[in-house]
Amino acid sequence: MDKVVRYHTINRRSFLKKGALSGALMISFPVWKCLAARDPEALLASDPAALSILDKEDLRKLLEVCLSRGGEFAEIYFERTVSNSISLDEEKISAATRGLDMGVGFRVLQGEKTGYAFSDDLDLAKLKEAAETAALIASGQTTEKPKNFTPLSPPQYYQVKVSPDTIASKAKADLLIKANAVARVFDKRITQVGVSFSDISKKIMIANSEGLYVEDTQTLSRLGVNCAALEGSNRSMGYESKAGTYGFEHFDLSLAEDFGRKAAEMAIRMLPAEDAPAGEFPVVIAAGFGGIFFHEAIGHSLEADGIRKKTSCFHDKLGQPIASEVVTLADDGTYKGAWGAVNVDDEGSTGQNTILIDKGICSAFLQDRLNAKLMKMKQTGNGRRQSYQHYPIPRMTNTYLHPGESLPEDIVKSVDTGLYIAKIGGGNVQPTTGRFVFSVTEGYLIEAGKVTRPLKGIMLMGSGQEVLKNITMVGNDLLVIGGGSCGKDGQSKPVGFGNPTLKVAKITVGGKKA
Amino acid sequence: MDYRKIGEDIVKKAIKGGADEAEAVIEHIKEFNVSVRKGDVETLKKSVSKGLGLRVFINKQLGFSYTSDLSPESLEETVKKTVELARITEAKPWQGLPDFGPQPLAELALHDPELATVSDEKKIGIAREVERIALAQDKRITNSEGGFFSDAERIAGLFNSKGISYTLQETRCSFGAYVIAGEGDNMQGGGWSSSKRYFKELEPVEQVAKTAAQRAVEMLGARPVETKKVPVVFDRYAAPAFWMGVLSALNGDAAFRKTTFMSDMLKKQVASPLVTIHDDPTRPRFVASGPFDGEGNVTRKNTILEKGVLKMFFYDSQTARKAGVKVNTIARRGGYKSGPSAGFICVIVENGEEDPASLLKDLKEGLLVTSMRGTGTDVTTGAFSVGCSGFWILDGAKAFPVDGVTLGGTTLDLLKNIDKLANDLDLRGSLNSPSFRVTEITVGGKKT
Ligand SMILES: [Zn+2]
Repeated sequence: MDKVVRYHTINRRSFLKKGALSGALMISFPVWKCLAARDPEALLASDPAALSILDKEDLRKLLEVCLSRGGEFAEIYFERTVSNSISLDEEKISAATRGLDMGVGFRVLQGEKTGYAFSDDLDLAKLKEAAETAALIASGQTTEKPKNFTPLSPPQYYQVKVSPDTIASKAKADLLIKANAVARVFDKRITQVGVSFSDISKKIMIANSEGLYVEDTQTLSRLGVNCAALEGSNRSMGYESKAGTYGFEHFDLSLAEDFGRKAAEMAIRMLPAEDAPAGEFPVVIAAGFGGIFFHEAIGHSLEADGIRKKTSCFHDKLGQPIASEVVTLADDGTYKGAWGAVNVDDEGSTGQNTILIDKGICSAFLQDRLNAKLMKMKQTGNGRRQSYQHYPIPRMTNTYLHPGESLPEDIVKSVDTGLYIAKIGGGNVQPTTGRFVFSVTEGYLIEAGKVTRPLKGIMLMGSGQEVLKNITMVGNDLLVIGGGSCGKDGQSKPVGFGNPTLKVAKITVGGKKA
Repeated sequence: MDYRKIGEDIVKKAIKGGADEAEAVIEHIKEFNVSVRKGDVETLKKSVSKGLGLRVFINKQLGFSYTSDLSPESLEETVKKTVELARITEAKPWQGLPDFGPQPLAELALHDPELATVSDEKKIGIAREVERIALAQDKRITNSEGGFFSDAERIAGLFNSKGISYTLQETRCSFGAYVIAGEGDNMQGGGWSSSKRYFKELEPVEQVAKTAAQRAVEMLGARPVETKKVPVVFDRYAAPAFWMGVLSALNGDAAFRKTTFMSDMLKKQVASPLVTIHDDPTRPRFVASGPFDGEGNVTRKNTILEKGVLKMFFYDSQTARKAGVKVNTIARRGGYKSGPSAGFICVIVENGEEDPASLLKDLKEGLLVTSMRGTGTDVTTGAFSVGCSGFWILDGAKAFPVDGVTLGGTTLDLLKNIDKLANDLDLRGSLNSPSFRVTEITVGGKKT
């Protein structure tokens, strides 16, 4: 594309469109291509190259090279990621894939400047070359020396008892077969069922010139079921998924059975969907998926890079009311087992629970090292990067709205004519204007305080500044979910989100019926 | 490294290791990226990366794996694992390598040998210059996300057990800027860039800078309108997002499974007779061209829509075999980390006859869309809804900028109701379209 697009995107469901083309402006799920390696730890241990990079004397020398031109700060990021995926399609286990990504990234900071280089060749001479390239961002003599390492043992926010990477493919395949069987028999109108299990085991090591040394293993697992239904000329989709920083113990046959049924139910429910209306309406967003709404409406606009550069519409709003009083919003890297949880972020800062909006008042920004230093603020554990090929930038982890007092059914009852949003497919935002959109994959009409007919083609659009003030009711039923991938500056990253049932008094709905 | 040797060797090793058929894809990419903000270098990134993807078939069972580690031990391991993976899966009769073998490749001149001689200082200078000129264009421009220059040289190889052994060397370079106009709650961003195979063919810095600045300034004060049905013009830079949605519905396998609203539309009139669409990746020197596709098929010009009649769905060789159709397969591939899938490579919606101004001239009231926030099309249901920005049109002229509105309808209705197609095609990427007009779309805005 020739247009420079500054939209941040999120998409929960592109995996549904197997074989279809990805949208121009949508970032899709990471394509997880990998194998059921029987024992990744053994694989790591048997990899001499991976071990040599962990030699602290080499690391110190490489940091010296990074600082040789006068850089103020240097950092080495080593990554070894094994990804596995197995999928079922047309009643058969159709693909099993494996991937290995390994390399080392070098970052040198000086003032507002970042120098970055990486190598996927772990030969010390090649690493030195990359360190020299990163060093070039500065031009002068060495001023800083790397400090002695103090190893950090990170807190544990992942819920992993059994690494999915150690599980035989058969056990994963059984989940897929179960979900498929249940979905297929649910209703004759179910015509397609796809199921997949994917997992990622990412071992990272971060060492920097301030003496930080930390190792961490991030594990992500995801089971997804999707169904297509057909009746006459009516078509619909249904899906269900569970995703988190989970071990394999979080997935079993009864879960697969449950998801197979739920995905099929959704597809059947949506078959008779009617055209959505257009215009301004009150909208009730169900617990879980509404987190995408906050991710787009406000989350990206509170990332410190846009704040520092004053390119975000919220750059001067710290301490000021930006939402109604029922809104307390957290970005929580410590939420146990959540998809976006981080023991440490990708620059070695421990995960944190940051209140971004406190009863309507803007109370914090999402900080990484570079921006926190330049803004003289504290790091918040939000420096994240896609891989060793990227430098860290401020990113969300798990963004969710704190629960309120209302009962979910009372929230629906309070709406005379409006929309009920059950599932959201994806969205994007332009932080400069705060304008965001998101597309609804499961939505219904609310008539006289009751959820009635299913609707298709619902798009919601608004501006963060306006819509946050229009949130009038918040339920007591917080649900945090995962599986989404957020795209920013060409980097994609898993993020979690959540919300209790909530009501937006008015928002623009894009439908067909004027 | 001798990538051809690595590729051919690993294919042989996979066959020896038990595969019936094997295919390897290798990539080696050298990249340079610089971003400049308010005159200073903000980030400088240089890298060389490489990787290999291996696809094997055993008794029509599929295994795939990739690795960024090309050491002999790692490749040995990759072969072993991939063969194991194939054995886990179940056979599907249509699975396997394409039927075609090696074919002569066209010389498309996609590599600029001069690019390697351009100094980092020169590239940084361009990034600095494009931002500087954009910032200086208008007093209302207040801030900047910066200027950038990036380039890449890529060596790609595709090797399979049917004798295909292709390598390709290509370059790409681009630069641009993104600036911000206005202040406080009235800020608008605008950006523009130029992307070419050859350094010398990049558009003038001044032209790119001016476009970026204009795109920010002209949107100042943008506001929603009231909900109503009006004629809508998609300008040539907003149009590709719309066509992306339409093309997404033309996946051959989805049509076979009847999961797209286009399933039963082959050879039918799906759009206005004004619309003819080709996939043509064969233009020499063009940024979206390529001599072979993701499965090693030579590329050619294909007709997707002719005078509004749907002429083809997209198939790769496996989905074509499954559906029992004989077509020119087009396989996309997103790099060494994934296998091939059906899709287009370089789509051109052919020019119409109208002067672009005439699309607005006879409108009493309407919307000119200059930017879309998504593709709009729901591939399953065919419902169309999307957020957009642009200009409100009154009596044939731009009245004020519009943002925060939605478009709602049905994709097939939109396609059929295209009543004017302009002659302003500007080939810039993998999806190109002239401006076009739709007689009526619901614009969702403030009140009901
Ligand atoms: Zn995002």
